[in-house]
Amino acid sequence: MSSALSYAVWAVLGLATLGLWVRSHASGSSPARPAVVLERLATVPFLRVALVLTWMWAGWHLFAR
Amino acid sequence: MPAAEPPGSDSGGARHPERKRTWTSPRPWRALLPAAGVAYALVAATTSAFTGSADLVTALPIVTLAVLVIARWPWRAFPRPPRTDPRVAHPHPWRAWVVLFVAIVAWEVADYAARASRADHPTLSSMLDAVDRHYGFKALVFFLWLCLGAAIVRRGARPQHRAPSGQGPGPS
Repeated sequence: MSSALSYAVWAVLGLATLGLWVRSHASGSSPARPAVVLERLATVPFLRVALVLTWMWAGWHLFAR
Repeated sequence: MPAAEPPGSDSGGARHPERKRTWTSPRPWRALLPAAGVAYALVAATTSAFTGSADLVTALPIVTLAVLVIARWPWRAFPRPPRTDPRVAHPHPWRAWVVLFVAIVAWEVADYAARASRADHPTLSSMLDAVDRHYGFKALVFFLWLCLGAAIVRRGARPQHRAPSGQGPGPS
C-alpha cells in the first residue's frame, strides 16, 4: 500500500477537524466550541492532569527529543 | 430582587462590575505576553532536537506551566456548568469531538504499528518533523504550543461560563 491512503485519511481527519471547528461556531450548533472543550478538560479531575501531561509530552517529543 | 445564580455561573460580573473588573481586566504586562511568546518561539526554532539547547528552551515552558498550574488552579475541580448555559445546553456537546479524537488516535496508532516504512505510514510526529525542518514553520508550531499551554492555564484557573453576546439569560 502506498502512502497515498495514509495521507488521504490524515487529510480527511484534518478537514473534519476544521469542519467541526467551523460548525461549533455556528449559532444554535450542537458541538461545543473548542474553547469550551478545553475549559471542560481543564476543570475535570484526572482529565486536567492528563491534559497538562499531554501538553508537556507533546512539546518535549516535538521539539526536544 | 435578582434570582439566585446557579453554581458555577459567571453572570455576577454583569451585576457586580467591581468583581468583573477584578477578574477580567487586562494587566499592562499581559499585552506583552504575545510578543514575548513570538520572540521565544523564534529563538526556540533556531535549536535542533537532541541538543542541550533544545532541551532547555522546551523545558522552560514546561516548568513554567507546571508552576502556574500549581499556583493558579484550584485544588478542587469546579462544579459542572449549569444546564442552562447556552454553550452546553445540548445534551451531547462533546460527542463529535470525542469521536474525532478517537478517530485521530486510532489512525495514529495504526500508522505507528504498521510494518512498512514511516514514509508509507506517516504519523503526526513524522509529519510535524518534516514541517519542523523549516525555520518559520517550526517557530509557528512552537508558538501555537505556547498558546495552547497558556490557554490551558487560563481555562483551568477560572471557568468562564459566560453566554455569547445576545444569548445570555435575561432578567428574571
